[in-house]
Amino acid sequence: MKKVIFRISIVVNLFLAICFAGLCIKAVEALHFEYIEQETILPDTLRKYLERGNYGTVAALSQPIRGGAEVSEKDADYYKLGEYTDLLFLKEIFEKSENADTVQECENRLEKLKQELSEYQDHLDRMEKSVERSRKAGSRQEKEDMVEEQKK
Amino acid sequence: MKCISCGGEISLTDRVCPYCGRELTETASHRSDLEKYRRKNESIKSFLGRVLSENVPMVVSSVILALLLIGILVAGYITENACHFREDAMRKESVKHYEEYSAKIRKYLDAGDYTGFAAFKEYHSIAEYEEPYEDLNLLWEITKEYTSLVKKVESSVVYAADAKRYRPQGDVLDCYLAINDFYQELAYQSAEIETDPYKDYIYDMKKKADLMLEIYLGLDEKERAAYFAGSEIDQKAYLEEVLIGDEKSDF
Repeated sequence: MKKVIFRISIVVNLFLAICFAGLCIKAVEALHFEYIEQETILPDTLRKYLERGNYGTVAALSQPIRGGAEVSEKDADYYKLGEYTDLLFLKEIFEKSENADTVQECENRLEKLKQELSEYQDHLDRMEKSVERSRKAGSRQEKEDMVEEQKK
Repeated sequence: MKCISCGGEISLTDRVCPYCGRELTETASHRSDLEKYRRKNESIKSFLGRVLSENVPMVVSSVILALLLIGILVAGYITENACHFREDAMRKESVKHYEEYSAKIRKYLDAGDYTGFAAFKEYHSIAEYEEPYEDLNLLWEITKEYTSLVKKVESSVVYAADAKRYRPQGDVLDCYLAINDFYQELAYQSAEIETDPYKDYIYDMKKKADLMLEIYLGLDEKERAAYFAGSEIDQKAYLEEVLIGDEKSDF
């Protein structure tokens, strides 16, 4: 009887040891998460929005890296593409609110991002056009011109 | 005890008197009791030893089981509360680096980059409601609404010409709510803003929000006044016109 109980306890201990090891790994990972992961913004989501041309959403999701949030190196480009759109979007506002230094900083950063993201030239061009398009859509006159142009 | 023959001092365990050499009959019963107890003690010891040696693996196994259960509970608790632990640690860290962080915050604010400030504040878990950051409290409340507004407008208006938009009607509602939340928060906190040390930044934030609505949603000063004077239906209809416009038929 004792031997049977002993054997069962060994099996239970092995099972608990596996659970414990798994939980330890999970706990260590949880204590070392990155901000972006915490916010459940996954690179897959960004990729999906990029592919669909929803650049504004990519920009909004990438905003945390402008505050210093770290992302894994292999996904950094996606977030930088978001930052690029975000800065293009904000630059228009800074220009109109006469924040000359901030506009200059934006331009410098945009130039740097453009160099770093040279392999995504296609996306960068499309992002620039998207922001330009959204600005025109906000202006009634320009919107009418744009519609006319598209009709032609 | 004394020897009855020579009066010398003897102990209960002495078999013969160490002074006169007489065999001590008076201590015989003590010696026999002692011997009995010794044997009994030995047998108890050997019994306990046998029981222990038989059960050592079981005892060890039980101790390991108990330790593993405690370990699992602790690891589970840490995993569940990891974000709180980290957040607390980062808050303490932010207090420790107050000089450095407040200089960076000031840089974001002076640049008018309020979304950058929000991202920095969020990432560093700066506790705006605790010393020494508590003066940021109101600024942060307004910045949260401003950041949300920027994100919603940005998500709704910036997309490629051939983009597959997920839910344009949802964008209209998101923008409508974000605009209302930001301007209502400003109106609600107007008295507090007047006395806030960061009021200039808050006014600048409003100016930027106005500009954003003008640039991307076509709401210049006159249009904005008309927009806010309109009903909820009018406001949503306006946003639908700007955000969906000719595409409406496609959805």
